[in-house]
Amino acid sequence: MNKTVFFRRHFSLAAGCVFFAVMACVPALLDFAGAARGGIAQLDILNKIGIYAALALSLNIVLGQAGMFHMGHTAFFAVGAYATAILNTLYKWPVFATMPVAGLFAAAFAFLVAIPIIHLRGDYLLIVTIGIVEIVGIALKNNIFGLTGGANGIYGIARPELFGLVFSTPKLQYGLIWGFTALSAGLFYLLEHSRFGRALNYIRYDDLAASGCGINVARHKLAAFTLGAFWAGMAGTLFAANIRTIEPTSFNFYESVILFAIVILGGSGSIAGVLFGSFLLIGLQDVFRGFENARMLVFGAAMMLMMIFRPQGLLPPRRRHYDAHAFMGKFPSALTPLPQSGLPTSMLSSAVLEDSLAAEARSKTATGNAKFGASCPS
Amino acid sequence: MKHLKIGITAIILMLSLTAAAFAGTVRIGLMAPITGAFASEGQDMRKILELMAEELNKAGGINGIQVELVVEDDGSTPRSAATAASRLVAAGVPAVIGTYGSAVTQGSQDIYDEAGIVQIATGSTAIRLTATGKKRFFRTCPRDDEQGRVAAETLRKQGFKKIAILHDNSAYAKGLADEAKQHIGKDAAVIFFDALTPGERDYSAILTKIKGAAPDVILFTGYYPEAGLLLRQMSGMKWSVPMVGGDATNNTDLVKIAGTEAAKGYRFISPPMPSDIDSPMAKIFLVAYTAKYGDMPNSIWSVMAADAFNVLVAAIKARGADSAAIADYLHTSLKDMYCLTGKISFDEKGDRIGDLYRLYEVDEQGKFVLQPR
Amino acid sequence: MEELFQQLTNGLAVGAIYALIALGYTMVYGMLRLINFAHGDLFTLGAYLGLTLLAAFALEGKMNGLAVGGALIVMSMGLVALVGYLLERIAYRPLRNSNRLTAVVSALGASIFFSNAIMLAYGARSQVYPGGILPTTAIAFFGVEIPLMRILMFIGAIALMLALYWFIHRTRIGSAIRAVAIDQGAAKLMGINVNSVISLVFLIGPGLGAAGGVMVGLYYGEIRYDMGFSFGLKAFTAAILGGIGNIPGAMLGGLLLGVIEALGAAYISIAWKDAIAFTVLILILIFRPTGLLGERVADKL
Repeated sequence: MNKTVFFRRHFSLAAGCVFFAVMACVPALLDFAGAARGGIAQLDILNKIGIYAALALSLNIVLGQAGMFHMGHTAFFAVGAYATAILNTLYKWPVFATMPVAGLFAAAFAFLVAIPIIHLRGDYLLIVTIGIVEIVGIALKNNIFGLTGGANGIYGIARPELFGLVFSTPKLQYGLIWGFTALSAGLFYLLEHSRFGRALNYIRYDDLAASGCGINVARHKLAAFTLGAFWAGMAGTLFAANIRTIEPTSFNFYESVILFAIVILGGSGSIAGVLFGSFLLIGLQDVFRGFENARMLVFGAAMMLMMIFRPQGLLPPRRRHYDAHAFMGKFPSALTPLPQSGLPTSMLSSAVLEDSLAAEARSKTATGNAKFGASCPS
Repeated sequence: MKHLKIGITAIILMLSLTAAAFAGTVRIGLMAPITGAFASEGQDMRKILELMAEELNKAGGINGIQVELVVEDDGSTPRSAATAASRLVAAGVPAVIGTYGSAVTQGSQDIYDEAGIVQIATGSTAIRLTATGKKRFFRTCPRDDEQGRVAAETLRKQGFKKIAILHDNSAYAKGLADEAKQHIGKDAAVIFFDALTPGERDYSAILTKIKGAAPDVILFTGYYPEAGLLLRQMSGMKWSVPMVGGDATNNTDLVKIAGTEAAKGYRFISPPMPSDIDSPMAKIFLVAYTAKYGDMPNSIWSVMAADAFNVLVAAIKARGADSAAIADYLHTSLKDMYCLTGKISFDEKGDRIGDLYRLYEVDEQGKFVLQPR
Repeated sequence: MEELFQQLTNGLAVGAIYALIALGYTMVYGMLRLINFAHGDLFTLGAYLGLTLLAAFALEGKMNGLAVGGALIVMSMGLVALVGYLLERIAYRPLRNSNRLTAVVSALGASIFFSNAIMLAYGARSQVYPGGILPTTAIAFFGVEIPLMRILMFIGAIALMLALYWFIHRTRIGSAIRAVAIDQGAAKLMGINVNSVISLVFLIGPGLGAAGGVMVGLYYGEIRYDMGFSFGLKAFTAAILGGIGNIPGAMLGGLLLGVIEALGAAYISIAWKDAIAFTVLILILIFRPTGLLGERVADKL
């Protein structure tokens, strides 16, 4: 195989491995640097970033890959967190046992609400997903089914425990959370490069053409939505076990906005971008503490400026590289007609299939054809 | 004489330097909602504590040791509170004052507990906070059940039979509403119980509905902006039914929002304001506060933070800046200390002892007048 | 029956404000297909500037209450329109040719920026319009007392909307706005200065929002730095309900949302009022995916 292509193709994978290896060393580095109390403050922020990164990765499937305007992801996060909290405090399930169930609850909920709305497009889907967050928040506040504890929420959630090891210190939680985030990144990487992931990208780029190619658009969107919710539900378990007190305001619309911004600002559809975005948006809120009352003012301004100067996102998805030569090698008959077409093989071997987002970014936005005043002649 | 004074101060200073683990200054943490839904309360808490620390340092600090305030923003959410708590633990403070919201306090309780740091909450009234047996958790504010009992008793004394209870679905207001409902006995009936959405402006739909139920009195357990709007809109509807509120409506802005005319006759129960406390400490405090900020404190909760500071200073003065020693002092030695909101002592759970609540009524000038017991 | 009528008037009064704010969302959307999330905060800014102007010119008591209100609305509209214009120039124009969601995030950032800027300038506490500016007389209708100011506010909001409708459909500039909304490229070829038209929309939309802000401040008295969020979300919902990009749709959606909320609170549950409103929205979108008056099929992403 051509070396450059191999390198280009697997660059993200390698970079990801390096990144998570570095993250694994962070607690040791903090100890080495002599951070106060074992770096409790730094680890707390990193834990928060880790949870949001996993969450944003699950949103990335829906928003970044399938291109659905989904601004209600915290609803599913909340379902997962509450499922864990209820099962743990009321039925004494161990936290880890609640994790898949939390995911399933979130997925089932997402599936049910998505069926009627999956055909909505663009901004209509956006407002509906916002509506879902608001409805879930109101339901939690009103102590729905008598289980959610109303505005007080649920407290006293146990620490996660595995084979006698209790994840109680910030350091152990860090390992747990970032382990989960690394797992998420790995799985979503595989998903992105699977047949399903490619189909989602096709749908985002042109759903009409995708359905013309035999992709069942509604079913793929529904699957992406449900899958994203499943993962968000599991992230909810980690959140509940990390914070140990959950209440409705932790899952409000503002948190959804932050998640949405992480994906878009990081570079929608790019795993590296989403990870970077989580560091930036969650980390910056903390870094800006020095501004005191003006903290969120600076944060809002930073959001605007980053978009103005990097409209494509901070780390947009890399172009996808395929080893066309190797691909053709699988089908020997396909290689024979090529020389006749006059296409040099050297070009073929480094053929670049552009990712849809890059193309989309360059294509101008469709000019609006909204009509003012439906009933009047224009 | 002057030399002697300096000499003694120096000796005390050196002694305490060697005796305790602090050097020159003692750091006290403040965890307050500087941003988020409770931002106005948190910013008031900081204002008041900055003043207290400044005055204390001017007067020579605690046994000559200067006090340094370390402020962290809890963002009005449990999640940010956990972060703020971690930072205060890392900053190495022996004790933390705060915070306002009960759920927010809960998000931080475990972190302080595990680090062995004393926490004195100032506005977190939920009963459950002291039910888990944390040895170093205290609060200067009373609990919901106490207020609920007093609210029910107040309504009973006034002879109301048909009571409408309105809360705002916040943890605090819902808790108080539930407690009050429980304590309203057989001789009166709760004919209406529901929640408004805080942060809106128009509550006329809700008022119309309550009016349909024809209650003798409305008990509103939420916060002052909504209480003010309700009063204003009730008078706009030309409907006059008495309204009684909880301590979260003890804020002078209520009258501004409602208008003096509409606010007249509104009653609420609350711990007494410093201006109604007959103690030299309260008088000195009010003078200093007015001199620095040109106004009286708006909210009783920021004054609760000031009292948390007062008891902490007393503890550090007596036992030094060590968490265990402070907690022990507050549990065992602090008895009926005269502070800005009345006498303070703590029980074994860390709750404040004593019946604190008084009834206030708004008069023709829009002033809050303490009612005789 | 009386109560039903009373609740209807309650709903219409709130709905008129929603509709007024919804116009700003819908105009900007129709032009740029951008959800201007900062619009709710421009509404708040309008309310605060109204308060500042009232104090700065010491208008209170100098003239008739209604005249004071009118003067405040006009001045605040002008200032906020200017802010809206700057917002478009700085935060949206550089992004006009990028992915649509990029501008949405920029708008979200602007929203956080404005609400916190207001908090820094005026404080986190509620601010209060001085009472007694407006007359407090009430008028009896079918046995129901309705405050005169509510009726005037309702009429004022409707009048502003009708003026806008007339402006868009009966003037030359209005045709230019419609032309740009339909096809920017073609409009450019017709000699329309697309940039100025878009700037104009960003003057009108936030201006109308500011009018709503001053009305809310004058009538309800209390304003807070974060009130733009709930009003903005409701108004945006109203715009979608009516069919976003459509001016009569925003008016219909706003009034309808107000009435749904009032009736939901009255006959189902106060605590679940907002959930009821959003459920109705979702149901309407399931059966009419482009809102009540939205005719066009929403474009693909």
